[in-house]
Amino acid sequence: MQNFISEQKVIDEVKKAVAETLSSDVTGMDAENSLIKDLGAESLDFLDINYRLEQTFGIKMARHFILEHIEEMFGEGSAIDENGHLTDKAVQLLKIRFGEDLPEFRPEMDMDEVPTLITIKSMASGVMDILNSLPDKCAHCGNSAWKSDDGVRIKCSACNEYAGFTSGDDLIQDWLKKVQDEKKIF
Amino acid sequence: MSTNIPKRRVVITGYGMITPLGKNTEETFQNACEGRSGIDYLTSFDTRGLPCQIGGEVNNQWIEESQSCISKRLDQFSSRGLRLMMASTAQAVRQARLDEIVDRDRIGVSLGSHGDNPSVEDMMFLHRFYDGKGNWDMKGLMQAGGYSYLQFFRRKPDASTSILSLTFGCRGPNLSIVSACAAGAQAIGEAYRMIQDGTSDVMIAGGCEATLNFAGFVGFVLIKALSAKYASPQKASRPFDRKRNGFVMSEGAGVVILEELEHARSRGVPILGDLLGYGDSADAYRITDTHPTGEGAILAIRAALDDASLRPEDIDYINAHGTSTIQNDLTETRAIKEVFREHAKNIPVSSNKSMLGHTIAAAGAIECILTVVGMNNSIILPTINLQFPDPKCDLDYVPNEARKCRVKRAISNSFGFGGQNACLCIGVFER
Repeated sequence: MQNFISEQKVIDEVKKAVAETLSSDVTGMDAENSLIKDLGAESLDFLDINYRLEQTFGIKMARHFILEHIEEMFGEGSAIDENGHLTDKAVQLLKIRFGEDLPEFRPEMDMDEVPTLITIKSMASGVMDILNSLPDKCAHCGNSAWKSDDGVRIKCSACNEYAGFTSGDDLIQDWLKKVQDEKKIF
Repeated sequence: MSTNIPKRRVVITGYGMITPLGKNTEETFQNACEGRSGIDYLTSFDTRGLPCQIGGEVNNQWIEESQSCISKRLDQFSSRGLRLMMASTAQAVRQARLDEIVDRDRIGVSLGSHGDNPSVEDMMFLHRFYDGKGNWDMKGLMQAGGYSYLQFFRRKPDASTSILSLTFGCRGPNLSIVSACAAGAQAIGEAYRMIQDGTSDVMIAGGCEATLNFAGFVGFVLIKALSAKYASPQKASRPFDRKRNGFVMSEGAGVVILEELEHARSRGVPILGDLLGYGDSADAYRITDTHPTGEGAILAIRAALDDASLRPEDIDYINAHGTSTIQNDLTETRAIKEVFREHAKNIPVSSNKSMLGHTIAAAGAIECILTVVGMNNSIILPTINLQFPDPKCDLDYVPNEARKCRVKRAISNSFGFGGQNACLCIGVFER
């Protein structure tokens, strides 16, 4: 079911989470900013940003990046070759997934460069994917009466329970299975 | 460099250790020569549900057997880390015949350690007497036997240093060092400087760590620093291997007796090695990420070489920090290449952590000793589990088998999580 939290709201919340984690200010932050290159985040900070977004939206962010899922599903070496570079097939998948959002993906790209491509917008799109897994009906009472009072948490107006979403990791895996079935990349 | 007064020379006259691979130096070194791993599934606490369930534990029986030097009273105040340190120090003190030195004011202690983490049981006990709103049921707490002040001492790293000096009767300088993975090497380096500049004649210096309990472990789990993918526990620590995916946490202790050369000669005690130089630095970069080009590491290595008045080509072996994390192994390789240039490819580099895991505050001391013992036996310990070479890590890491090789001068690297870096330069003792 289409969730009704706007992309702009999600981007604003990602900015807020990043600002709180880095003790910085949202003013001047741009959706295209790279968290690492432009905003000075380090690997540790992603744990905190994810945690804040989970608390805000009542979701479970992906614990593993898509490259790890590819390796897990399609075998070692399927995403990253022995030189630590992205495989052609991984780049093909990343292009399908991120499309115009992240045009920088290219074959032979060093895996170390990948985290620097994460932007506020790409994080927001991960959150949107999860929010879009909103089920048609409330798992608790079976009604279809979602609402949001605060613009971030979705509740059932019939029984007042919070909505449950698919976890980020499960979504990535489902997506990979679907793309593999359609395009037979591996 | 700027002073004309020649610095006093510092030598090693004793060492001791207790590790997942052995109850003393000889046993640890022998097992390491054979490329054995000290890593296994953890038994010290319930790891079910955690993504990493392995580590390097020290056999409890070895600890029990070695505690005769501690009075029962002091033992109550001792953290597990300190008990490991006591076992190691007793070995080193015996070897260096420290008891025969009359002037105890000139013997100091320099210890890298972190103290015990509170146990989950401790926290649950306290929780019973607190309502979460600032109100303590002190009467109830006292009736239940109170919260033992012994726990308070076991958590304090300074208490360990104090108890160590009390047990071995050392009234000289007393230094507690808290710098994570660099602590053991820094403790030795700072002690070396104290002897060099005349503050002390003899120093007990080393590090200890015993944080294989829930509170100690889970922080490293949360920041995803530990290896969570392994075919078997013994295969998990794989420094410089393409399939490395985090470090393996271990416990242990290592200690050296450092002594001013003439002081050692006058006692006729065997001299086991020469401490030639020490360098330390900070990345001043990020909280856990290492500097990508290894600037801090480069500073520390260069400072140690400068301090020893040696050139890069004078070094025959590098005992690497080699944690088996993607970040460290890559950065360390880059730093070595930057400092040693064209010579880098010719220097054997190996990581003891491939066998011992990462003993955090003890690592620098244990690795310093294993380097000395290796030099005295013309053996370079291997980096085990190096099966899938990483093209970005392209030095001679002494893969999988120990090597017979004469080494006159070596360095031992220790790079802390927060960007604290220490490097010791060690030589075979020559008159």
